[in-house]
Amino acid sequence: MRLVHPAARLLDAASGVTLGGPDLAARLARVGEAYAALPPGVLFARSGLGVEAVLRYVGAVEAGRPVALLDPALDPAVLADFVHRFEPAAVLGLAEGGAGADPGALPKGYREVTDAVLGPVWVREHAPAARPHPDLAVLLATSGSTGDPKFVRLSRDAVLANATAIGTALALDPTEVAPTNLPLYYSFGMSVVNSHLAAGATVLVVDGGVLAREFWQATAEHGATSLAGVPHHYEMLHRIRWTPARYPTLRTLTQAGGRLRDELILAFHEKISAVGGRFHVMWGCTEAGPRMSTLPAEALPERVGSVGPALAGGAFTVLDPDGVETSAPEVVGELVYRGPNVMMGYAERAADLARGDDQGGVLRTGDLGRLDADGYVWLRGRLSRFGKVFGVRVNLHDIEEMVRDHGPVVAVSGPDRVVIFAEGVDAATAGQIAGRLAERLRTHRTGFDVRPVERLPQLSNGKIDYRALEAQV
Amino acid sequence: MTLTDRLRAVFVDALELPEGVDVENLKYRDIEQWDSLGHMTLVAAIEDEFGVQLDTDQVIDLSSFKVAQDMLRGLGVDE
Repeated sequence: MRLVHPAARLLDAASGVTLGGPDLAARLARVGEAYAALPPGVLFARSGLGVEAVLRYVGAVEAGRPVALLDPALDPAVLADFVHRFEPAAVLGLAEGGAGADPGALPKGYREVTDAVLGPVWVREHAPAARPHPDLAVLLATSGSTGDPKFVRLSRDAVLANATAIGTALALDPTEVAPTNLPLYYSFGMSVVNSHLAAGATVLVVDGGVLAREFWQATAEHGATSLAGVPHHYEMLHRIRWTPARYPTLRTLTQAGGRLRDELILAFHEKISAVGGRFHVMWGCTEAGPRMSTLPAEALPERVGSVGPALAGGAFTVLDPDGVETSAPEVVGELVYRGPNVMMGYAERAADLARGDDQGGVLRTGDLGRLDADGYVWLRGRLSRFGKVFGVRVNLHDIEEMVRDHGPVVAVSGPDRVVIFAEGVDAATAGQIAGRLAERLRTHRTGFDVRPVERLPQLSNGKIDYRALEAQV
Repeated sequence: MTLTDRLRAVFVDALELPEGVDVENLKYRDIEQWDSLGHMTLVAAIEDEFGVQLDTDQVIDLSSFKVAQDMLRGLGVDE
């Protein structure tokens, strides 16, 4: 089975050129041939949002060459550390990235060449000792909000299974045109590309995102049918009073990458429903390649707050507080996902790339939640996201939910109190928030340090940078 | 202060620009500071400073210092 369906197309918004059918196959084959001339081993692909970067990625998957998708704005020291730890055969996309993107100095043991097909590349002089496992297809760096940077190892079967299951959940067909609002190196962005190529649909390759004129021009001109975003994108679209009615071809909005306020889920659901479209809340994680669940649009507004049932081929269970696994409804505990898209495992160094499947298709998500009688997942925050207020353990996610009507907020654990960063509030509102929390949790308000911030810091994939906030406490 | 001076001050403040940036030739996403988050902060700061409300198209069109300048003139902000 291949990732790219024969009907799939790549449409380059910048040039207006469409690649499909034999042309696309030929371009991918050329990329594959260029890879065959490199030393064996994994490829590092610094990937922006351009057709060449997409071809290098898809060409690697089709050629059976494991590829790590990397943020071109990755700090040169972090890239150097990754190269040192994982000994890639080559680092591709040296010219990728806009503002602040610099790959840094040529690493020791590599030479820089300009390949006719691949562009500027660092090529490893000697083949690395460890050969990647034959099932390995994609490596994605785990988000910086938890732990040290490491790679998630996704097998070819996992990537393909997830692409197909997403296509089924969203009823993707060859008439779909998906613009690239999310980075390729972000699992959600990768999955948009994968699922559309697998469905024989069109990926509209456009850089700039939802605040760029070019993005909306391309959406209108090329008849984009869907928009994928994280909560931050929907918050921005809400603030600028954007409406899908201006784009008659747009009929599907998808949201993943964190919790969007119910109020906004319902607002966007109403807007897109009014023009005959649908809003899908979804849940996933990089470790699941990434999609695990999708809320059917018909489930709104009744089930707002749920992330829906498992994708086809997947299943959820809950680990209750005693560590007993159950599929019974209404038990709160850590959610466990089983499915063909679960990662092979993590990789912290080159030797790990040779490892086979460490997971057996089972993933402990680290997220707390429950299942309802129909198997719909209702999340309750991260397992490890607890703070203490005067010695009493509190769920930071619950605290955020209690005051979310004030706008985007993040709660982090401070010394025997909880620090709440609230975006765009004034000092008086901050005081009110502390008061409300104290009342709800029946404790003293000094247990809540509410700090107004102009904006919450973000990682390059649009998710909240919890570590940056924790560092301020 | 002239419109240009006020707008320059808003850009420097909202985008937390380092010294020496050629503010008047800035374009959206040319520099790290002017990303989507920076853009939202900038729009709010422009609205505050000049007492205007930008609509969806104006927020999306506001892709350079010069565009912002013309937009504000078009909205009747005094030079």
